[in-house]
Amino acid sequence: MKRKTIKRIASGTVINLFFVVCCFLALLPILYALSVSLDAKGSLLSSNFSFIPKELTFTHYVRVFTDEPVLLWLKNTLLLTVATVVLAMATAVPAAYVFSRKRFAGRRLVLRILLLLYSFPSILSMFAIYKLMSTLSLVNTHIGLIVIYAGTMSVFALLNMKGYFDAIPVEIEEAGRIDGCNDLAIVTKIVLPLARPTLIVTGVMIVNFVWNEYIFSINFLTGSDRMTLASGLYSLQATETSGSWPVFAAASLVVSFPVLIIFFLSQKNMVSGLTSGGVKG
Amino acid sequence: MKQPSIKKNVRRTVRAYLVSAPSFALIALIVVFPILYTGYISLTNMNTYHWFNFDFIGLKNYERALLVFDSGFLSALLMTVLWTFVNMVLQLMIAFLIANLLNVRHLPLRNVYKTILMFPWAMPGYVSILLWKTGMFNSEFGLLTQWMKDLSGVTVRWLQNDVSAFICCTVVNLWLALPFMIMIMDGGLKSIDRSYYESATLDGAGPVRQAVSITLPCLKPIIGPSVMITLFTTFKQFDVIYLMTQQVGSQTGAHIHTIITYAYENAFITNNYGYSSAISIMIFILLIVFAQLSNRHSKEANA
Amino acid sequence: MRKILCLLLACMLVLLSGCAANNSDETQSKKTGAVTITIWHDKEDSVIAVLEEAVKALEPDIHVVFEKKTGMTESLKLVGNDVNAAPDMYLFAHDKIGVYAEMGILTPITELLGNDALSGYVPLTVEGATYKGQIYQVPLYFETLLFMYNRKYMADEDAPATTEELYQYMQRKTKYGHYGFVEQHSTPYYAAGWIHGFGGSLITADGVPCLDSNEVKAALAYHKKFVEYMPGETEYATVNTLFTEGMAHATIAGPWFVPTVRAAGIDVGIAPMPVVDETGLSLAPYSGIQGLHVLKAHVAEKKDAIVKVLGVLMQPEVSVKLAKVSGCAPALESCYTMEEVTSDSLIMAMKQTAETAIPMPNIPEMDVMWTVTGNLLTNVNMSGQDIDTACADAQKKALELIEAMK
Repeated sequence: MKRKTIKRIASGTVINLFFVVCCFLALLPILYALSVSLDAKGSLLSSNFSFIPKELTFTHYVRVFTDEPVLLWLKNTLLLTVATVVLAMATAVPAAYVFSRKRFAGRRLVLRILLLLYSFPSILSMFAIYKLMSTLSLVNTHIGLIVIYAGTMSVFALLNMKGYFDAIPVEIEEAGRIDGCNDLAIVTKIVLPLARPTLIVTGVMIVNFVWNEYIFSINFLTGSDRMTLASGLYSLQATETSGSWPVFAAASLVVSFPVLIIFFLSQKNMVSGLTSGGVKG
Repeated sequence: MKQPSIKKNVRRTVRAYLVSAPSFALIALIVVFPILYTGYISLTNMNTYHWFNFDFIGLKNYERALLVFDSGFLSALLMTVLWTFVNMVLQLMIAFLIANLLNVRHLPLRNVYKTILMFPWAMPGYVSILLWKTGMFNSEFGLLTQWMKDLSGVTVRWLQNDVSAFICCTVVNLWLALPFMIMIMDGGLKSIDRSYYESATLDGAGPVRQAVSITLPCLKPIIGPSVMITLFTTFKQFDVIYLMTQQVGSQTGAHIHTIITYAYENAFITNNYGYSSAISIMIFILLIVFAQLSNRHSKEANA
Repeated sequence: MRKILCLLLACMLVLLSGCAANNSDETQSKKTGAVTITIWHDKEDSVIAVLEEAVKALEPDIHVVFEKKTGMTESLKLVGNDVNAAPDMYLFAHDKIGVYAEMGILTPITELLGNDALSGYVPLTVEGATYKGQIYQVPLYFETLLFMYNRKYMADEDAPATTEELYQYMQRKTKYGHYGFVEQHSTPYYAAGWIHGFGGSLITADGVPCLDSNEVKAALAYHKKFVEYMPGETEYATVNTLFTEGMAHATIAGPWFVPTVRAAGIDVGIAPMPVVDETGLSLAPYSGIQGLHVLKAHVAEKKDAIVKVLGVLMQPEVSVKLAKVSGCAPALESCYTMEEVTSDSLIMAMKQTAETAIPMPNIPEMDVMWTVTGNLLTNVNMSGQDIDTACADAQKKALELIEAMK
């Protein structure tokens, strides 16, 4: 018995050590950014770098909020994020459900085409998207970007949620049908509650995408009062004639912070979700 | 008997498409139409000199684009395959290991670890890449360089030769992509019925045996779609390689090109939209071919 | 715990966006009833502050908005002709004029200001503003690279007059983490100075690349021995930081770098470009002429306002103020009779380099050359490729890409 305990403690230590190293690696660049942003002598590229700044300062963070219209960008980003999530989910959920549950002509073909479409980098067709938006006079509007984001993420959302729906046993629905529910009731009362985790995961993935996307927002939005956090951050990036690395580091941490909290809040669902784990629950 | 069933089939199909119509409308607008339009542009001579008054010139751009599909393109193609393969294998292996370790019993700090391991995912991608490049790999100030110098006294130029640059890019890509994969695997593991393991233990199967004959087969269908999605994300990865080694004004001397960065360098700097559209379409055709091949392969594997 | 966090997040977001909404309301109300002129730029805040100050005189009839734009050159290609998205003008270096003029999104400024609009300007700037006989830019100021040194290490009289002197200095001083001299050695904008110093060039005036010419090869071979004594990175962050941290004794950089250097507490000296021993020519860097370009998209409806804005910004006083804050040289010839300008050693140094400096080519073909030359330099300096083969390959690639443009 005793040997077993020792063995357990030993292996436990090894595992813990392993995770401490992993966590350190995961945080390495982030810690780096943190210490650069807090360092009063502030140089990202100082030749005698240490993780703990000799002089603490918050001026770089203050500058993020005073020099740039960060709050306005935050408002824009929030608007885009919420609208994109709503639009993409509202359209993708029914489609994913149908493709998971119903058998009909062309189903497999469409699924394969969707996967193929996902593999094509949207950057390569950016010019065409621009022309399209220009024709619809949606360039330089938030609506235009929302449609672009939602369309881009639709493929992912559809495929991802369809995979999850597949794992929900049909028997549960059949039980509902015996109780006299119609299709709509089955979906809203039985399937969606069960699918909550995948809805959350997909939603968070869309949030993450919109929050960090900068190429389209830089090219399609021209006024700085329409900019998003990511594109604002990108323009903060040190160019040779201007820009400051410490401020950039501070800004990137500020921008990432809300996403981190969202991740943290949805973590439980992510882990139990994604798979049929939640179904048994 | 047959008549109503066909009718029912048709009705079911129509209904299915009606329900998914909004989603398809979006996809058609933002994904399909641009590809088609790119195809149209690729048949014209739209460029700096014919910006508004472009003409239809048939397949001329394709003829010219084939020039780009020279030996450089072939090696870029090989590099893409290598890149995707190495990254996927490492990603799956490491994520599998970490996810399994996260699920051992008696790990009180489990949730702390899990939360921290998610951090890289929340950072905007290009920010992380630039932080890695300047903060870690810079040959003067990078943390890794300084550590190496302290340890061995040698200044390493990480990104200067192809092999080490490839490794560095892989490290960064893993750092970016692992959180998602770990999460998927972790979720998958949780969904496997504990009783399988219990009975396996009773039968005397060791942990490795259990991993091979229970965990892997159970995991496969669950994580399948996500793995497919990650596969394509890795394949079309542009930011990591471009920002690490080829960004204009800060090239590092390494020549790792995937087909996307190669096409970018050879087609997109010329302002010739007709020509670069032709390249885009050819990449799309390549993707179709790959999809067909992998599809056939998986069918054979299933049969 | 979770609920509290949720609540906190929600509160924060609502609060923040509330503030933001207020901010935007204020800016909105200011604009009503006036013609708004939008100018895109990618310049330092201090430069823009001067311009904003100057155009205030036009309020309330004309309201000028300066918008800092990232990736401006790419955006202009996309939106340059889109009435909904295009700006009225943009402030940038002259080197994209050819591309945009060929695309047909620029208005020649002579159509607005008359044919002798630039009669009082430094010839170099007029040359830069002209493409195919048309003038497309109102130059504000120009910049060239300067040879800078840290007086702590290098006394004024020790500043190298020739490249061989520089080389010997580098050999002596590059050790213990210090560098005798650093520059962005594999970046075309910087390396071009060396190529010009050998009498070569990247591209001819009519768009024929000359990367495989003997001058270019000689320059690259000669330059390479300097690169051996420089760091393994070519991007500005490394190079500039080495200098501001006092780890590099001398560098070649633009005037925009001087304020940063001074802020870092470095006593910086400016010397003329060293002369290449072999040819007797001094290193001749590219010069960038920064100025205003008028887009076609809005010119018809806003012509009067645009002319007024240009008129205000073309005043000599504005040029002098700009020169002060940016450290760049005014484009107006008349400024050089003013005491404020002649007493500024930095500006006069720049004016002096302007005698030999070569304006960046503004032909569309040059667009391709930046990338190709950059690759050539990396191949030679960093991957150690043979110069003859690398040059031949680059020349071939350049010809191919230029062919592909048309």
